Amino acid sequence: MRRLLLAGFALACLAAPRAQAEDTLNPPHWQSEGVFGSYDKAALQRGFLVYQTVCAACHSANALHYRDLDGIGFSTEQIAALAAGVKLSTGPATLDDAFKNPYPDPQAAAAAFGGAIPPDLSTIAAARPGGTRYIFNLLTSYAAAPADFLPLPGHYYNTAFPGQQIAMPPPLKDNQVTYADGVAATSAQEASDVAAFLTWAATPNLDASKEIGLRAVLFLIFLAFIAIATKRKIWRETV
Amino acid sequence: MSTLSKPWLQSRFPLLDSFRTYLTAPVLPREKPYLASLPVLIAGALIFQLLSGLVLSLFYNPADAFNSIQFIDRSVNYGWLIHAFHETGTTMIFGAVYLGIFRALWLRNYKAPGELLWFLTLGKFLVLLLIGYLGYVLADGAVSYWSLANSIGGAFGLSGVPGGIGVWFFGGPDGAGTLPRLAVFHGVLAVAMIGILLLHHAARRGAEPPVTRGVSLHPYYTSQIFAAFVIYALIFAVLVFFAPHLGENPLNRGPANPLVLPVTVSPPWYLLPLSNAGHVFVSAWGALFAVLARIALLAALPWLDRSAPGKPPGFPHKCLSLVLALDVILLCVWAMQPSSFIGGILLVLFTAYYFFHFIVLLPLTTALEAR
Repeated sequence: MRRLLLAGFALACLAAPRAQAEDTLNPPHWQSEGVFGSYDKAALQRGFLVYQTVCAACHSANALHYRDLDGIGFSTEQIAALAAGVKLSTGPATLDDAFKNPYPDPQAAAAAFGGAIPPDLSTIAAARPGGTRYIFNLLTSYAAAPADFLPLPGHYYNTAFPGQQIAMPPPLKDNQVTYADGVAATSAQEASDVAAFLTWAATPNLDASKEIGLRAVLFLIFLAFIAIATKRKIWRETV
Repeated sequence: MSTLSKPWLQSRFPLLDSFRTYLTAPVLPREKPYLASLPVLIAGALIFQLLSGLVLSLFYNPADAFNSIQFIDRSVNYGWLIHAFHETGTTMIFGAVYLGIFRALWLRNYKAPGELLWFLTLGKFLVLLLIGYLGYVLADGAVSYWSLANSIGGAFGLSGVPGGIGVWFFGGPDGAGTLPRLAVFHGVLAVAMIGILLLHHAARRGAEPPVTRGVSLHPYYTSQIFAAFVIYALIFAVLVFFAPHLGENPLNRGPANPLVLPVTVSPPWYLLPLSNAGHVFVSAWGALFAVLARIALLAALPWLDRSAPGKPPGFPHKCLSLVLALDVILLCVWAMQPSSFIGGILLVLFTAYYFFHFIVLLPLTTALEAR
């Protein structure tokens, strides 16, 4: 993806989502990476399924609203159906409700997890060095603690987390969700997809930004040539 | 009656004539390089910041700062774009200001008759740093929250006049009233910057040597400034659309938490050259002294530099200027790292070199050069 030329980028904007054959797990990479990278909507939708089924049980994402999901390619009817399935204290959720917060207040969350409040996931991919890759590594780096490592009570050994121990139990296992597009739901695939979804959640305007940016940069390069040529022509007349 | 012979508006609004003279009088020296347009670009960028800041201020809510910025980024039409403009615009302004300061050090523009211009450049730099810091704090992220808490704690620890200024500026301990107050200062200082830029512009004309066969501003320098502006805009567009958070601490994009201290408390890159003073001098008085001493050394340059006015810079001076720039860059790079033993020693060494450059190396080499 990194080496896409401008023409390729324009083509990719027009063309339908890319073929499924590409192995995004070995080595792990995401279509949104790189200068011309854009979101893979199929991966985002799979990631949302993982988020909704697994993450949302404990984590909030207060900055996101159900209406925002049109950004990952869902239609308004699909979103309305999704929201209607979420029970808030006021009744079924609507398009303009924020994502359901699983706990009424931070105190309740702290009490449920021995003092470790599950962080809000709205901006987590932007607010951690390494972003997407960090989330993938975190979700796939659980292991049995070495013999000389004694985790704190209620903590799990995880090589990707600062301090090598984390209060979050390993959240993903194989076939925890069933993908509608038939992709095999290995735990690595789930981690990759939810990392893609959380990246979108933190920077939902990435695609629009690059689309405007490409036009602006091309225009300004063109204008720069004209401006410099004009300046030289004007100065040639003075000497 | 002679004024009435002019066209209607010109006879009633004489500024129009002065403006025409300003544009067409052949008083400017020839062959000014593109980089001489930096002050104009900074002024243009400041107006751009004022406009984007005005739009942001319509939606920004200091009582719920972090969430209101999320609202701007996600739910306001093109709010994310205006926010990115404002954020990257800051990077561009500081890039131009640092480049301008380095250019003055390199060319010795601070020597007579450029002293007043140099003081105004430093004043501009200081006020911009304050505005930049306030903007950083208004984001109310996980890092800037703690930076503000530390600043207020430090200011309240001072006694006498500095402490009084601190208490007046922050208004009281970090609380519900702090961010609304700082938002007002952020906006008022940004508008006041226009005045400083006008003074700077007037002083710039004074510092230029008299010209025998000059050229007019229009069309010669307007075409040059336009070309410089397009290049500036091109760099801006690349950064804003493809690297929107360049030089920022990513941890600051999470919400503030009064009970969790982030692993690295480092500000955006443009505050680093002064903020790392606090890493070297631990107490509030020490940090205040270090910041003021760094600025005072820059302000004392017209006297620390012993060379004759108007003499072109020699090879040793150019070498020393480059080493100084490298020293400041390395200082910033190390200040961004999580604190470590080696890092602490390097910070002290780089800071010591900065003072050594201005107090010993610069007077010595320039005196030798002048002999």
